[in-house]
Order: sequence, then C-alpha cells, then structure tokens
Amino acid sequence: MGGEAEARKLLEKCVERLKELLPPDAIVDVKVKGKDRVYIEVKREYLPEALEKVYWELGGYLSSMVGTDDRSVDGHYRLYYIVSIEENVRHIQWKPWVVVYTKVPWDNPKFKSTTPKVPAASWYEREVKDLLGLEPTGHPDPRRLALPDDWPEGLYPMRKDFKFYERPPRQPKPYMFRPEKVSEGIVQIPMSPIHALADEPSQFRLFVDGERVVDVDYRMFYVFRGLEKLAEERFTYNQTSFLAERVCGICGYAHSTAYCEAVEDALDIEVPERAEYIRTIMLEVERLHSHMLNLGIACHLTAFDWGFMELFRIREKIMKVAEILSGGRKTYGMNLVGGVRRDIPKDKAKKVMELLKTVREEFKKALDVITSNELFLRRCEEVGILPKKVARALSVVGPLVRGSGLPRDTRYDHPYAAYKYIRVKPAVESGCDVFSRLMVRAREVLDALDIVEHALDQLPGGPILNEEKIELVEYAKGIGYDEAPRGENVHFVVIGKDSRVHKWRVRAATYNNWPALPYMSRDYTITDFPLIVASLDPCYSCTERVIIVDVKRKKTVTVSYARLVHLSRKVSQNPTHTPQLL
Amino acid sequence: MAFIKLIEHSSRRGVATHPYPEKPFEVDELYRGKPVLDASACIGCGACANACPAETIKVETDYGKGVRRWTIYYGRCIFCARCQEVCPVNAIELSREFELAAKNREDLTVVAEFKLGSCAKCKGYLDVSIRHVELAQKLLERSEIANIMQELARYMVMCLKCKRSFFVEKLGEATRG
Ligand code: SF4
Ligand code: SF4
Repeated sequence: MGGEAEARKLLEKCVERLKELLPPDAIVDVKVKGKDRVYIEVKREYLPEALEKVYWELGGYLSSMVGTDDRSVDGHYRLYYIVSIEENVRHIQWKPWVVVYTKVPWDNPKFKSTTPKVPAASWYEREVKDLLGLEPTGHPDPRRLALPDDWPEGLYPMRKDFKFYERPPRQPKPYMFRPEKVSEGIVQIPMSPIHALADEPSQFRLFVDGERVVDVDYRMFYVFRGLEKLAEERFTYNQTSFLAERVCGICGYAHSTAYCEAVEDALDIEVPERAEYIRTIMLEVERLHSHMLNLGIACHLTAFDWGFMELFRIREKIMKVAEILSGGRKTYGMNLVGGVRRDIPKDKAKKVMELLKTVREEFKKALDVITSNELFLRRCEEVGILPKKVARALSVVGPLVRGSGLPRDTRYDHPYAAYKYIRVKPAVESGCDVFSRLMVRAREVLDALDIVEHALDQLPGGPILNEEKIELVEYAKGIGYDEAPRGENVHFVVIGKDSRVHKWRVRAATYNNWPALPYMSRDYTITDFPLIVASLDPCYSCTERVIIVDVKRKKTVTVSYARLVHLSRKVSQNPTHTPQLL
Repeated sequence: MAFIKLIEHSSRRGVATHPYPEKPFEVDELYRGKPVLDASACIGCGACANACPAETIKVETDYGKGVRRWTIYYGRCIFCARCQEVCPVNAIELSREFELAAKNREDLTVVAEFKLGSCAKCKGYLDVSIRHVELAQKLLERSEIANIMQELARYMVMCLKCKRSFFVEKLGEATRG
C-alpha cells in the first residue's frame, strides 16, 4: 500500500525534528518498529522537555503512559509515554506513534513531572506514583489517584514483589478535596458514594454558589480491581483476552480487541483478513448498542422518556444481532490472539442484515422526533461547553473531542482491523456542547450501520484464526488500540515468561475524559450536572444518593436518586426555573 | 409540530415487551448458555480446565479414592465456550439454557468421577483415567507407528514412578553397551 512509505517518511521526519529540538545528549536510543511506531529513549532529566516537544511541537496527543517494573531485568523502572502524532498530518493514513521512554533507577525512583508542560499527563503520573512508587517531582496535584485512602504508605501494588493475593492492613485516612475552594458563600455538595450516572462508585464534590457550579472535584478508583496484576500473575496470554473483555461492561469487546492487537503487535502475528473484518463488525455492533444507550439516557435525564423507551426498544435489536453473531448479548468472547473464534455463516449474515435495515429506519425516525423536541434541545444546547483548546490540552477522546471540533478518531488516524480497507470519516461537530456530543453519536450510529452492512457484504474468505505456533519473545513490547464507543482505548503489553504478560496496561477512553469534567461543569447549574456527566458517557447505576452540605449552616440533606432525576427533569419543563435544593 | 410527530409515532407502537417468564424466551440457536458435560464421553483429561479463563472447571486426581474428579461450578462461568473449543472428544458443549439462578452453591456444582487406570508394573494408580488410556491406545493403533505398538503399549500404562525407573534401567543398559 502506498500509504506505508508515506508513513515511514513521516516517522523519520518526526525523529529528525525531535533531534533538532532537543539538546544533543538527550536522546539515548531510537528504535523504529513497523511502519508507524518509534520508541525513543531519553535521559531521565530531559523527560519533560522531550514530551513537551513531542506533544506541542510535533502535534501529538497523549494516548497512554505506562510504568513498568523491570528491576528483575536490569534494575530499572521504565516510563513509556505513548503519543499519537495527529496535528497537521490528518491526511496521512498511518499517523506515527511516538513512544518516549526513560529509565528510572531502582534506588532513586523519582522523575521530573511532565504535567506542568503537558496537562494531559496528570492522571498518569499520579497513578504511577500510587502503583509503582515512582515520584513525579513538581506535580501540581500529588494526591492519591488510584489507591484507596486506607492503603498503607510505601506499599506499591504494581511492583513485581507485591503478590496479587496480599491483603495489607488498612490505615484509614481522610481524603482532602481541594480546600482552597472552601470560602464564604460557597456550598459544597458531595455526590457519593455511588454516582447516579457512573456505574462506578465515585465521589463528586460540587462547589456551588447558589445554584451555579463554581468548581468540581472528584475522587474515583473505588473499583480499581487490579485486573492487570491478575493477568500478569495468574492468567496466560490467551486467557487474558477474556479478562480484558471484562474491563468494561459496555465496551468490553473493544478492550479485548485492543489487548489482542497489542500482543499481535509485540509478536508480529498476522491476523487473517476475514478475522479483521469480523472484529470490525463486532466493534461496530458494540458501538451501536452503546451510542443508543447513551442517547436514550440523555432523553431520560431531560424528562423525555419517549426517546429513552424508543431508543432502548431499537437497541434491543442490536442486542439480538450480537447474540446471533457471537452467541452472547453483551460479552462476545470472540477474540483470541491471532484472530477470532467464531465465523459468520451466510445465513446469519442475512438475518443480521434484515434486522439492521429495520434498525436504520426506526432510528432515523426516532432521531427526527427527538431532535425536533424543543425542550430537549434547550437542555442540551450550549450546556457543558468544552472549549477546543481544553480538549486539545487534555487529549480527550471519542465523541467528546469530536463534539469540540477536533477530528480525532482512531479508526481514521491509526487504521486497525478492517478499517484499513473500510475508511471511516470522523463525525465532527463544532458546538462543543452536550448537543454536539449527542449528534456525533447519532451520526456514528448511522455510520456504524453502514460499516456493518458493508463488511458483512464484503466479508472476504479464508481462515479466521492464525493457527501457527506462537513464539513468545520475552520483553517484546506492543501497542494495541481501537476506537471504542467512548473513544480511543490503548493497551500496552510487554510479553513475559511462562505464557504470561510481563506488563499489561489498559487505558480506557474515559480515563482521558474525566479530567475535562471540571471545565465542562463550571458556571452551569446543579441540575445540568447529571446531563453533563452523561454527555461524557460513563455507565449508569441507579443507587445514587446525594448529600448536600451547607457549610455555613452546617446542614446536611440527603437526596435520593429519584429526587435528583426529578430535579434534573423539572428544569426541562421550565428552563427559566431552577428548583430549590436546600 | 414536534408533539404531533411524537403522538403520530407513539400511536403506531404496539406492545414492545415480551411476556417473560409467562412465555419462554427464545434465544438464538448458537447462544452460549450453560456448559453441559456428557459424562459418558469425557475422559477426564483436563484440557478444558487448563483453557478455562475463569477457573470454572477443575480436574484433579484423587489417589485415595482412585478417581479423576471433574468439577464445574457454574457460579464462576463466563460462558466463553473455551472448554467446548479445546475438548478432544467433544464431551462438553454450551447449551442454550440461561436460567441458572439457584438457592445455594451446591446446586450450581456438578461433579463427575472417572476411575484411574492402573500401572502395568506396580499395579498402583496411574495419574490418568482408564478411558484416557484407552483413547490413547486407540489413537496409536490407528497411527503410522502402529507397527511398534506392541512395544509402546507396555510403557504407556505405567505410572510415572515406574516409567522413570524403567527408563533409567534402559538408559543404563544402553550406555553399558
Ligand atoms: S477437555 Fe473434554 S474430555 Fe477433557 S476433561 Fe474436559 S470435558 Fe472431559
Ligand atoms: S464456558 Fe468458559 S468459563 Fe465456562 S466452563 Fe467453559 S471455559 Fe470455563
């Protein structure tokens, strides 16, 4: 393919440019892998400069950051910053992946934080500090991120000398929400322990002045399950693909695909074309059900339950499609390293096509009704604005970034699976608000229908699984990525001994999106908040309790989920009126 | 306008819900439901237990009772069908059954036991079942090396300990000339 030579040239250009921008002794090693990825080792002291240049000068987005414990290999930890170069090279088919990495010695586990220069790195560096004990010096927000507050100091669960079955004693300690926000007239509203809209327990603290949200702080990771640890110590690499599918309850298949791709990349395993098509079909089926769910919930939160019911009714057909194709409604269990496990026979494909035809018609009609409902529009338009600049600085992904006018889409930027053959145009909206994000999803539903139909029609023949014996190369590294319904998922794998992975790092789409929440919520009302969170598309739970604290009167009120939804909906009936909370 | 559209639409929708559980819910013919063991075919080889990502299936050897014990605990099953995929004799298959709720754990456990074979030399237990040995013999008879089968058959049904001492002996003989 012509695109490959072009990609290689661009990759070389990136390396050259970086060499010019950095001091001569900063770069230690450069290794090109394949047509579109390069691993660049820099000296530890130059890490922030190197990342800054790659991010802002080469036009990169931070896709993931991984810390590995390689002390057993050479006495070092390693930090890999995985950057996808996209700006100004949108037309190139395979955009470069630049992996900047550095070694951190075991007896001095510190590195200069890159967050002041690249804000997108904030969460990653806090996580590395929690889990591996690598200290980012100069990090603006060094509070705990991933570990629970009662986890003992100085114990790092992702280090190799910590075993997955260890249960350290608890040392309770309160978590500090940003204290500088507490001032005269500002009321704090904790939303916890389970958020109405996220299927994970999380704590939000809204700082409000009257009804206006001044700021938001959050504490999450209450369901940090240590899946990666489990995989590294107990699972074989082929079993891990099933574990990966359980990372998320909605876009699990995207995770399992990204994991398999990472292993395939590390070990240079070829995937048969038919398998690539089948993966694409299943990924798009997953996108269909996920987007319809999100659109439905948005209707629900704005008291437009007809939309919710109708979309869920249509979505049920997608669940049936998944059942026909994979044998499971939600967990498809289709992936193995090297391909897929289940073929799509002709008669099944025909049945699916028929279902999809009705889905398309019904969805179009439903969308027409929903978008002509003025009350719905008034709740969504110009609410939860995420400026393009912020989106760029935080490397947000998925419908969130596309809703803010940036054409980022992994399917287009780094074609994987069958997106090499079926080119996808990113659905971009420029409103930067909740409505834009919903419209991105709506357009992607229609695109996904096209893609599935096209792929089923064009399904090439041949095997579905590469059954050659897999040679495991120890410490081979691989990156796997795909565009999940919520945005880009990136998996990083280092192959280990005994058919296991030495390191597996999962980066789910929402990980890059949460940090944008405070920017999206400021200056809107409390009742907009659920909708704004929903536009980020986390998953949902129905056990919400909200506690409202008036700091001045020292008064606490507990609001049930039903009441919160009720409040959220009350606005929709009269946008000028905001209900009394206290 | 919007509401006219809405009413127009809604009036055309019938009942969308399925009267479950009054009427059974039909799933696709290739639905992945509860894995069911055909104990008459299983040889207790343990391939399924090795492949199972969720440790749903366990296969262990009980020398005291002289059995190979195959256990499945449905509470852990993720319905991935790996077991079905790797079984050499197609003894386990995912059914279309999905109503697995039970009042206690025991109801979710199924156990099958297979008699262990006995060692041709010391008469103690082998670490595989009789059926496993029989299958291996049958396969070998049909294979290209069937002509040296007589010889091989003797070694095949030895326990690990006897096999070891047997080979040490042979090795000794060979090196002595
Ligand atoms: S793989 Fe088949 S034969 Fe072997 S133990 Fe499992 S079910 Fe029995
Ligand atoms: S279906 Fe999967 S989880 Fe269930 S027993 Fe078989 S291999 Fe194990």
